[in-house]
Amino acid sequence: MSRHAGRSTTRWAEATLPALTVVLFLLAWEVMVRWRGIAPIFLPPPSSIAVYLWRMIADGTMEYHLGVTLLRIFAGFLLAAVSGIALGVLMGMSRVVARVADVWIAALYPLPKISLIPLLIIWLGTGEAYRIVISAVTAFFPIVISTYSGIRQADRGLTKAAKDLGANTRQIQMKVIIPAAMPSILSGLQLGMGVTIILIVAAEMIGGSSQSGMGYLLINSGQVMETEKVFASLVVLAVMGAVIIKLQQWIDRKVAPWAMQDDR
Amino acid sequence: MDVVVDNVTQVWGGENGVTALDSFSHRFRSRRFSCILGPSGCGKSTLIQIVGGLEEATSGTVRVVDPTHPDAVRRLGSDSVMVWQNLNLFPWRSVIDNVVFGLEMRGVARSVRYERAHALIASVGLQGFENHRPGQLSGGMRQRVALARALIMERAILLMDEPFAALDAQTKIVMQEELLRIFDATHKTVLFVTHAIDEAILLGDEVVVMTARPGRIKEVIPVELPRPRSLEMINSPEFGGLFDRVFHLIRDEVMKTMQQQAAKAVA
Repeated sequence: MSRHAGRSTTRWAEATLPALTVVLFLLAWEVMVRWRGIAPIFLPPPSSIAVYLWRMIADGTMEYHLGVTLLRIFAGFLLAAVSGIALGVLMGMSRVVARVADVWIAALYPLPKISLIPLLIIWLGTGEAYRIVISAVTAFFPIVISTYSGIRQADRGLTKAAKDLGANTRQIQMKVIIPAAMPSILSGLQLGMGVTIILIVAAEMIGGSSQSGMGYLLINSGQVMETEKVFASLVVLAVMGAVIIKLQQWIDRKVAPWAMQDDR
Repeated sequence: MDVVVDNVTQVWGGENGVTALDSFSHRFRSRRFSCILGPSGCGKSTLIQIVGGLEEATSGTVRVVDPTHPDAVRRLGSDSVMVWQNLNLFPWRSVIDNVVFGLEMRGVARSVRYERAHALIASVGLQGFENHRPGQLSGGMRQRVALARALIMERAILLMDEPFAALDAQTKIVMQEELLRIFDATHKTVLFVTHAIDEAILLGDEVVVMTARPGRIKEVIPVELPRPRSLEMINSPEFGGLFDRVFHLIRDEVMKTMQQQAAKAVA
């Protein structure tokens, strides 16, 4: 009886406490700003951030900038995913490709990709191409590396079993090694998505000629000291990131359910 | 199908490497159940992988001979199928898609392979679990999937590498009875690797006792218990006599293995 009651209390706490801490934090923030009379240009209260956020949504600015940013994120991510998985698979299948690519990856992977921004702006200008390329280049590396290591670490026992059951080399690659590498590929895609979001927003902040996107909105609002808009944009960015990550986790569970903990 | 192993030696790691198998020669007779028994590291798994065409012997030959056409040359691995110690089921495939794997690779039509898989899955008592993944099944059920996946190949030779070693005692008994039933119904040639003496005697028509590393044949002991076999035979005096004989052979070898390991630990 008591153990059962204890469990349901824990479950109740698990469900409500996270939300409760957020509410308490916002409340403390609001009270402190009003009580100490902090200037809104420095730290606006949550209530007025909410008002600004609502206005920006109502007049469509937020939707516009968010939409543009999302499109860029998906373009960069798609480019990185396709090229990264393709090269990773090729590396896994061919020792020669692996040797050659390994040199380039070892040299370029540790380089902070943001440091490529000046060069890319010189080569590509400040339009869409530069933003998508910088994010794709950054996301490319974790995707290639995870794909390659997933393929290399494919269980030897499974490939032997497939061979015993009459699979030829090509069938072993397609029907055993690639599915076996799937969980690793998916975790590479998660890492890739994370850096794509960062790089797109950063690139929108630097030298954006198109004057659009969440990064632009942030930097522009900051420059004109509209701190409420800065916070409103941050809130939207945080929600966007969380939604993308949850969506990706949901897709991963659909694509590779066997790789999940609860399968055991 | 007879499996003729002639002077097979397997050395791992080049010239001065570890000799896993040393001059192993034996004719495994058609339609008989042969158990290969030995201490761990005696090369018994290596032996059946060589028989299955999955490892290359350092020297010596393995031939599969059809007693009715003794001169026909048969490709190693094309008459046999393996049941692995750790099963090696494909975790992303459902039970039925694991079972059909071999037929799928061979290009058998979808409807045909599923029909045959359904029948086999029912015969090993897994109906209703066709769409589960291996990760959702118990150890004994996974074992049945592995068995069905091998049986669907309809190969004359069944190679089994300690298939029941990881099962709990009760599940193991059930699976042994299941295997006896399948053997009586199909009369395949079975090479069954194990380190359990009672299992070897209960299942086998002969027990090939191996020495500690390097693995050689110590003695081949025929088991003349009548078939169909059942678990009750364990209590018979014949069984007890055989157990004693095998036990004394294997005890020395296990001691040797322990001494080898102790020497390695000191060095």
